[in-house]
Amino acid sequence: MTPRLIGGEMTVWSDLDGKHGAGPVRAATLRPLLGAACGRTLVAGPHAVDLLSCLPSSPLTLLVRGLPDADYLADRFADHPSEVTVLCGSLAKLAAAPAFDTVIALDGLGRLRSAEDDAAGASWADDLARLVSVLAPGGRLLLGLENLFGLHRMLALPPSPTDADWGDAAGEYDASRPASPALLGAALAALGLGVRASYGAFPAPGNPSLLLSTSLLADRSVRGWATAAIRTAFAATAPALADPGRIAAGALRAGIGAELACGWVVLAQGPSDSPAPQPPAAVVGEAAIDSDLPSGPTLDELLLAASLRRDMPALRELLAGWQGGDNAGVPADRIVVAPDGTRTPLAPAVQPETALAQLAATMIREGHAYLWPAPADQAELTALLAAMAGREAAEIPPVVLDPAPGLRETLMERDRLTRELAEARAKQGWYEKMLQAREAELKRVRRINTMLMATMPGKAAKASYGGLRAAKRALRKLKG
Amino acid sequence: MVRLPIRWQESTRAVHHANHYYGHSHVLARWCGLDDADPPRIHGYLQHGWNIGDGMAPDHAFVPGAPLFVWSSRVQRRAWSLGRRQVVAIGSPWAYLLAMEPAEPDIPRDIPREGTIYYPFHGWEGQHVVGDHQGLIEEIRRVEEGPVTICLYWQEFRSRKLRQTYERAGFRVICHGYRGGWWKDLDPGFLVRQLAEQRRHQRVASNRLCSAVFYGTLAGCEPAVYGDPMRLEGERSAFGGEDFIQRNWPFMLGPRVDVARARQAAIDELGADRLLPPSALRLLFRWPAPVGVS
Repeated sequence: MTPRLIGGEMTVWSDLDGKHGAGPVRAATLRPLLGAACGRTLVAGPHAVDLLSCLPSSPLTLLVRGLPDADYLADRFADHPSEVTVLCGSLAKLAAAPAFDTVIALDGLGRLRSAEDDAAGASWADDLARLVSVLAPGGRLLLGLENLFGLHRMLALPPSPTDADWGDAAGEYDASRPASPALLGAALAALGLGVRASYGAFPAPGNPSLLLSTSLLADRSVRGWATAAIRTAFAATAPALADPGRIAAGALRAGIGAELACGWVVLAQGPSDSPAPQPPAAVVGEAAIDSDLPSGPTLDELLLAASLRRDMPALRELLAGWQGGDNAGVPADRIVVAPDGTRTPLAPAVQPETALAQLAATMIREGHAYLWPAPADQAELTALLAAMAGREAAEIPPVVLDPAPGLRETLMERDRLTRELAEARAKQGWYEKMLQAREAELKRVRRINTMLMATMPGKAAKASYGGLRAAKRALRKLKG
Repeated sequence: MVRLPIRWQESTRAVHHANHYYGHSHVLARWCGLDDADPPRIHGYLQHGWNIGDGMAPDHAFVPGAPLFVWSSRVQRRAWSLGRRQVVAIGSPWAYLLAMEPAEPDIPRDIPREGTIYYPFHGWEGQHVVGDHQGLIEEIRRVEEGPVTICLYWQEFRSRKLRQTYERAGFRVICHGYRGGWWKDLDPGFLVRQLAEQRRHQRVASNRLCSAVFYGTLAGCEPAVYGDPMRLEGERSAFGGEDFIQRNWPFMLGPRVDVARARQAAIDELGADRLLPPSALRLLFRWPAPVGVS
């Protein structure tokens, strides 16, 4: 099979090789959504072959802008020449005919135009309109969009520009580019498409490991579960300006979890007699989740609240209940506590002391170290929490955790260590002073002692003491 | 007289000698209000011909951090995608020349443009074109109705045999001059002569889409691209080669083309819509202000 060159193709460019910016969309998390595809399907933009092979429908048309990518795809699908067509070029050259029942652009619109394409005047909305123009009436659109105000960008230093950033889009300064799920829905509605499902994607827009529907993100009753899921999604990401899990938890409390998601994925459709099947409420890893989710906050929130209130009895009760139960090894921020007290673990158990150490680290990183007597480092606080949970502090082996996840936490740690160092130095100074005073006192006493020994009573006392010791030695020999 | 800082006194030595090809730096010095007989050093690389790569010649040795001054935004984007940074689209020297020479002082206005100026595809120094010139002559005769001027590259122009081949066909044979090389034999008047010639002609043509065709289009000629495209000895199709050109500029190819569309393409490719004011260009090139301007 030979790719069809539609114009604007880039002869020495590849998006699939991942060497000039982000690689293709490949997350298995997106697979459950592909079930919405039906009929003639266009996949626009870089998508990994593994993902494409999950598509249920045929015939399939693939659009990429780099010629090496088109050649690669044509080769990979050479066994299906009648079912797969590979187009190479710019979105601007795609024939605007309603030829497709489904259009999939999970990578978004950002990599559909090429460097050969004079797109200076084209806005995001123009590109969306062009993509939607190839959709047959009632057709389905599966679209991804990076949130440029998402947690992954908000908490990161500005990324270095890649070879792909040649400047064909104004990004966040493009007024037509939706900056929230609501605006994305409005942009689709303006083109006659209704949103059937909408997701917030974490922790990366193109390759999420977690998809949460926007309705789930807005549902306060399952906030604990969603927070734990987002924390897990961010656990493997690179250090940032601040712990993204903490900010995500705050965003969910504020009801703006969807607005701060790293990206959005929507399934939209025009008026149709055959509506697309309703996709799952969430996808975690590869698992689609629709069943009832546990309601209530996470255990660490309850523990932190009790600490802030200085409610030691409540704190001890929570700690004892946790460490005395079956979930002692499950980290506190991965346990949902229902209103009736039922605890649902959401992560596999580790050593209980590790879970305790993680709670201690959380308390310090959230800025609550001041609640405890200094030095409130992680080891000290772990031991204290263990003691409050009813365990012997001496039983707790030292636990080494990963370094602080973000610059904010690192700065807090630096400030705490600086303060502790100053306190330790002050204490050392006090000890030095005290030691010198005691040594001076000792010298004075010794001097007096020497002087006293030189007097007659002193000599007599020494002689009688020496005679007494000799008598004791002789007595011991006789006994032996 | 204003005493220039030491770095300007070096003068006449560009970062790359190609900056002086065809008198490009001379034209830009004139635009900037500087001495166009002795243009200062351009702190960067100047695109010196239309191409479908990053704008630079493949044999350029780049100094890291030196900016690339390319003609069009398209080349700017392409160069970035190819890993180049500090790429600035400033427009082509040709477009600056046309902006400075809007009138046609050497041609009386009542004499209309006439005939065709045809540029047979040429190699560069050390390259040799393989092709059938006689076949090309016949094709030009078939297509062109008016007088024909053949403009040869200096290398081919030196070949008496080749010159006579075209002259025997009744064509006028000219050469715009030597482009210069390694700061020697520079020809500040190259583009000026080329403009004067093109403005005498109704049409501009070549057997490959090239700088001269875009130049002529911008200078008011009807463009055409036809005839055996010929080949360079050992030619390799970088960046897609002729196939890429055929797919991306099909409207420029053929003996008769849509002039309005071709003119828009010439504006785009020569960056005629993005010329910088002299003060901005001087800053980018790190050129001094003209005498008398603080």
